[in-house]
Amino acid sequence: MVQLTINGKQIEAPEGITVLRAAESAGIKIPTLCDHKEMAPFGGCRLCIIEVQGFRVPIAACTLPVSNGMVVNTETEALKKSRKFILSMLFSERNHFCPFCQVSGGDCELQNAAYHEEMTSWPMQPGWKKFNVDTSHPYYVLDNNRCILCRRCVRACGELAGNFTLAVAERGASSMIVADYDVPLGESSCVKCGTCVQVCPTGALIDRASAYQGLAGTMKEINSTCTGCSIGCTTTLRVRDNRLVRILGNWDGAVNHGLLCEVGRYKLVNDQRPRLTTPMLRKNGKLEPVSWDEALGVVADKLKPLAGKNAVAAVASTRLTAEALTGFKELFADHLGSKTVTSLEEGVNTAVLGEVAEEIGPFEGRIDFLRNADLVVCFGENLVRNHMVAGFLVKRALPKGTRLISVDGEASDLDELADISLKPAAGSLTALVKGLSAVIVQEGLGRAELKVASPDKVIAKAVEASGVPADRLADAARTLAHAVCPVLLIGTGVTAPREAGTIKAIIELAKLVGAVDDERVGLLALKGKSNSVTAAQLGLDVPFAVNGQKVVFAALGDEIVPDPMLAKLSKAPYLVIQSAYASPLLEKADVVLPVALWSEQEGHYVNLDGRVQKAVKAVRAPEGARENAAVLGEIALRMNMPVKKDWRAELKARKSSVVLSGL
Amino acid sequence: MAKPKISSDWMCGCAGCHMSLLDMDERILKVVELADLRSTPITDLKEPDESGVDVGMLEGGINNSANEEVAKKMRKRARILVALGDCAVFGGVPALRNFCGIQEALQRAYVDAESNEPGSQIPNDPELATMTQTRAVHEVVPVDYNVPGCPPDADVIFYVLSELAQGRKPELKDELLHWD
Repeated sequence: MVQLTINGKQIEAPEGITVLRAAESAGIKIPTLCDHKEMAPFGGCRLCIIEVQGFRVPIAACTLPVSNGMVVNTETEALKKSRKFILSMLFSERNHFCPFCQVSGGDCELQNAAYHEEMTSWPMQPGWKKFNVDTSHPYYVLDNNRCILCRRCVRACGELAGNFTLAVAERGASSMIVADYDVPLGESSCVKCGTCVQVCPTGALIDRASAYQGLAGTMKEINSTCTGCSIGCTTTLRVRDNRLVRILGNWDGAVNHGLLCEVGRYKLVNDQRPRLTTPMLRKNGKLEPVSWDEALGVVADKLKPLAGKNAVAAVASTRLTAEALTGFKELFADHLGSKTVTSLEEGVNTAVLGEVAEEIGPFEGRIDFLRNADLVVCFGENLVRNHMVAGFLVKRALPKGTRLISVDGEASDLDELADISLKPAAGSLTALVKGLSAVIVQEGLGRAELKVASPDKVIAKAVEASGVPADRLADAARTLAHAVCPVLLIGTGVTAPREAGTIKAIIELAKLVGAVDDERVGLLALKGKSNSVTAAQLGLDVPFAVNGQKVVFAALGDEIVPDPMLAKLSKAPYLVIQSAYASPLLEKADVVLPVALWSEQEGHYVNLDGRVQKAVKAVRAPEGARENAAVLGEIALRMNMPVKKDWRAELKARKSSVVLSGL
Repeated sequence: MAKPKISSDWMCGCAGCHMSLLDMDERILKVVELADLRSTPITDLKEPDESGVDVGMLEGGINNSANEEVAKKMRKRARILVALGDCAVFGGVPALRNFCGIQEALQRAYVDAESNEPGSQIPNDPELATMTQTRAVHEVVPVDYNVPGCPPDADVIFYVLSELAQGRKPELKDELLHWD
């Protein structure tokens, strides 16, 4: 710790942090524009200038490390004058006429900074240089005329999202933000995560959907959990008049630290599928609107006589809340005694993990280990497309020297990014992983004990089975062995074949290379949808098939049903769907129960590394739609078989591959 | 001491700032109590007294030779000159045409716009004022107080006028300071 004085106040700060952060932690606000707490110090806008005793000229606080005995002043008359001058320069550079900008009036950091300095005008007039406005992107607009060149967006794109799409072109007053080599944003390598828009301090990056819909101060901000996938990013929902206007990444989010992907930020707000708001029954071959009372009565009457006969097949979305999934399981598996009670994922991402966990207990770690990994091995998952936020954590580490090995039989976007890409033939993954371990053992590079009888044979078998050349296999093994903090990620490609042997081989390898030891567990499976883990814990992880059952109940929630499942559901002799949106299943369904979306109900989700997180009800469901858990509860009640199990207890009933926390 | 005299005029603006002035409702009586309202676009007297006024307020930027004349006359006759509203302070919405130039703006407005009759022409009567780049008032004449806002709230205008009428410097900050 070092001692310093800021504005006459004695402050203690840890060594290595900047004066700006030290001041912040002491409650002293220094105005900034380019600084962002999630990004590296940059020193671009110079607004945070301070006076330090013994320094000849003012200096930027955001890039100056604290040192012992430092005497700092942040609010002298000379500094105020300089700040006004800096702001005048920024304002007069481009089109900063506030009246027609969507962020004016509170959401613009540039304007707020000017108000803070009590500026009523700026003495210079703009150079009237015109920049083209790029409207080619589906979610945002880039207006360089309003840009102050703080480069937050450029840094967010690279440092946070690891995508490196945005850059600065030209020099001096002509400098402008461009995508790739100056192509329209909509045709660029942008992955549409929107982090750049969230960090823009002015109106230069405009969020299409929420622009001119009202300032942040006029909206309700609600912290919630993204239900897009298993990562479980923390979000901030902006709501106005019962309408979800915008989703922002929450910088305090334990998993994502502000990051979101296209699904979490845009797709969840802007679902174009038609909503279902009236219960419907098939009468004379046609679906007709009926009352909730009638619809629920019909379902209860249909289900009750089938109790104990294994005559109902039930499937639920893994995007439902833990509460709804627990009720679903109790109703269909416990009360009705059905054998086919599962999820839309059918355990593809989790069943085999559960199987191994039954044997050895929890073996997976936290996603946080990705943050300081110097090597990531990704088995069977295209992280560029799926679980994008995890992909960001990997991609952004690559320029810092983190190595990436992709092991995926399928074509993957990771192939281009990976230092080594192994493409094992179908069904050869276990052999390949054992081969990697054998190389490490043979060369004496292991960091833990592992006995491999005749490594030569194991390696030869790996090469033969996988089709991966021996030298590349050896190269990958050595890279793995030399890593200090390796992290191994397990994707659908590994879990889908339900081979416990593969998982065990990967665990063995992880221990051998020190990814898993007493101190850290650098091993994590990516799972599927937001409540993949909950579904697994409830045992909703068996393959789904309609095989002689009389009724099929599908609790789809707000999920898009994948085609193979649509085909299976279409074979149902009598189909009850519980869904928020219209889908092709309406043609087949005999009963339709309209339900609430993720944002219209409250409940819990367990993310990929076992964190129990809450998603909050942000808006009211449309009249007619009911919450998922309530519908299931009501059906159970009408059958005199009320559901009353506690979801927390149910989650703990089975051994898990992750350590559940927050229960 | 006689009541301070106040004059105002508008140039390249939308009259919104003067509408905002009227928005102060009955408080305008308080202003009249404190000051002598002389020429304004909304009173009968059209030019500031040749003998001079204490406070002159200008709404709008300066985008032609006629505006320049108005601004210079006001500056010459007013002891304190107030630029009222964003157009007067920064150039405002009309200044956006500076990004494309006068010719392109005229062509768009009088000829190319979808609502124009076919064969419409850019007005070219020699009596018309000459167009110039749109400028803030301070670019043409020295300004004593800038009162931004689009428009400045009635509260802001009342505050500025009552402070000036009572011989104090108006300080715009917090709620009173906004540029939109």
